[in-house]
Amino acid sequence: MSHHASPAMKLLAAPFLLMLAALVVWPLATVLIDSFSKGGVWSLGNYAEILTSAYYGQSFVNSLLISAVTTAIGVLFGFLIAVSLRYRSGGTRRIAMALANIGANLAGVPLAMALIFLLGLNGTLTIVLKASGLIGSFNVYSLTGLIIAYCYFQIALAVLLIIPVLDGIETELEEAASLIGVGTTRFWLRVGLPVVGRQMVAITTLLFANAMGTYATTLALTGTSVNVITIRISELVSGDVFSDPNLANAIAIALFLVLLVPIVVSQLLLKGDKR
Amino acid sequence: MTYLDLSAIGLRYGDNVILDGIDLSVEQGEMHVLLGPSGCGKTTLLRSIAGLVQPDRGAIHLAGRAIEMLHPKDRGIGMVFQHYALFPNMTVRQNLAFGLEQRRLVRKVIDEKIDAVLEIVSLQNKADARPRQLSGGQKQRVALARALVLEPSLLLLDEPLSALDAQIRKRLRDELKRIQRRTGLTSILVTHDQDEALSLGDRISVMNNGRITQTASGPEIFYRPADLFVAKFIGNANILTAAEFSRLIGRDFDQTAIIHPHVFKIGKASEGSNLFEVAATVVETVAAGNVVRYVMQANGIMFNVEAQSAMNEECLAAGTGTTLSINPSNGHFLKEN
Repeated sequence: MSHHASPAMKLLAAPFLLMLAALVVWPLATVLIDSFSKGGVWSLGNYAEILTSAYYGQSFVNSLLISAVTTAIGVLFGFLIAVSLRYRSGGTRRIAMALANIGANLAGVPLAMALIFLLGLNGTLTIVLKASGLIGSFNVYSLTGLIIAYCYFQIALAVLLIIPVLDGIETELEEAASLIGVGTTRFWLRVGLPVVGRQMVAITTLLFANAMGTYATTLALTGTSVNVITIRISELVSGDVFSDPNLANAIAIALFLVLLVPIVVSQLLLKGDKR
Repeated sequence: MTYLDLSAIGLRYGDNVILDGIDLSVEQGEMHVLLGPSGCGKTTLLRSIAGLVQPDRGAIHLAGRAIEMLHPKDRGIGMVFQHYALFPNMTVRQNLAFGLEQRRLVRKVIDEKIDAVLEIVSLQNKADARPRQLSGGQKQRVALARALVLEPSLLLLDEPLSALDAQIRKRLRDELKRIQRRTGLTSILVTHDQDEALSLGDRISVMNNGRITQTASGPEIFYRPADLFVAKFIGNANILTAAEFSRLIGRDFDQTAIIHPHVFKIGKASEGSNLFEVAATVVETVAAGNVVRYVMQANGIMFNVEAQSAMNEECLAAGTGTTLSINPSNGHFLKEN
């Protein structure tokens, strides 16, 4: 059989390509084109404003900070949990997978409410911790609060993604290692992690993008009080006072470029490591 | 002197009895084969010796030391797995060095040991290759080298040849035997392949339903199976019930007869001997290289006969009548239950 599909076969891809054009290319092109329009004239003004404004600069820094921290925490704990679940029976694994599934999808208002009940100014946990003298005061409506909230779904998502990746490492490898005197920690550092390195980089990139794009949870928990990028975009699009959709378009493009960096870097890293 | 001694090893998962009180002694330097159908418990027994499975009861002594409670790494046992289990991110040399580094040896000593072992398995020129660049046979030789380089007191081989294709399997089988002889390493090999068992094992233990049915040398197992299970599992002997055998030789007989196809001789018995003579008809003829396999029928009993072929000799065609002679002392007989 030929590797080149006949013209008729290529036509079968048309609906998919059409959908891709309608749902990805067209909106992206509109956003890109509009981002160069300021006050009705073509200019780089929107980009100049993003680059010079300390306010928008800070929103990028905050988003990057929250994303980097929660991605690191998510990957670390996700990996440890996935490794320990390897040694558990099917029942425990299924329960853990179900919980992770709920966690990964419970973002937005429900997550924010749950955190407010627990860690809000009069939250159960806040009161208990205050009463026990462990903390003086705690404000969940802050950058720290956002990091805690993001971790909730970042760790859960990492567990969901890492478990099947680790299934690719045969238990025989671990047994072979234990018989030649290599302990569990050393096995995972020298064999386990390197073997799944590519997938781990991909998962890290995905978690990072997931955090950068988080909006509902942020809005529900801290409203507009913490300066992150997605809140700024939404404010410019739907705000009554500061509405400037084209500036929002430019920020969205900038966000897209920022997300492109880890993707390109990870691809380059993996290219050098072709096994 | 017994080098490895298993006594009363038992293991059950729920109601499933996996190992049912296994006793086994293996001599130093012996290549011992555990042979049996899948699910008979042979791999579980091997894994119990390695410490990868913890039996419910029983004791394991290796070189006079009780090891059943030890961690796998402290048992001094090397193991080769069916699917190689090489570390895919490491070169051959790194695979071999991994265990040695754990022992905090000097780099120079590690390199010397690795070179020596690579020479034994004839892979000196593959030291820097990665597992995915090797053929199945080469991978398994690396796995063997990885076990050998740590100089274990016992080598366990879990179906080491069954993932390989026929040609390589035969070559590696001979090489395995040579290496085992050369190193004098006490080894236990698990297989479901009777040819492999017969050609590799100094002694063979045939297993069925979590028990060892018979432990003996290859020829002993082949010619004198302890029971019907062993007789059916090993070789392709004719197994004739007492009634069938009585009909065949035309004389009353009260034991099950196990008669290998090559034990039947085509032609009349010499004058005055006490051999049985049977008039038989050829039903089917298969000429397979140096042997000719016949299905014959005599007195309503069907059985297999095997004869050497010769270059200038015609084999018997189907439908031909012939006389067979049987020497009863070349058959093996089991009491009927």
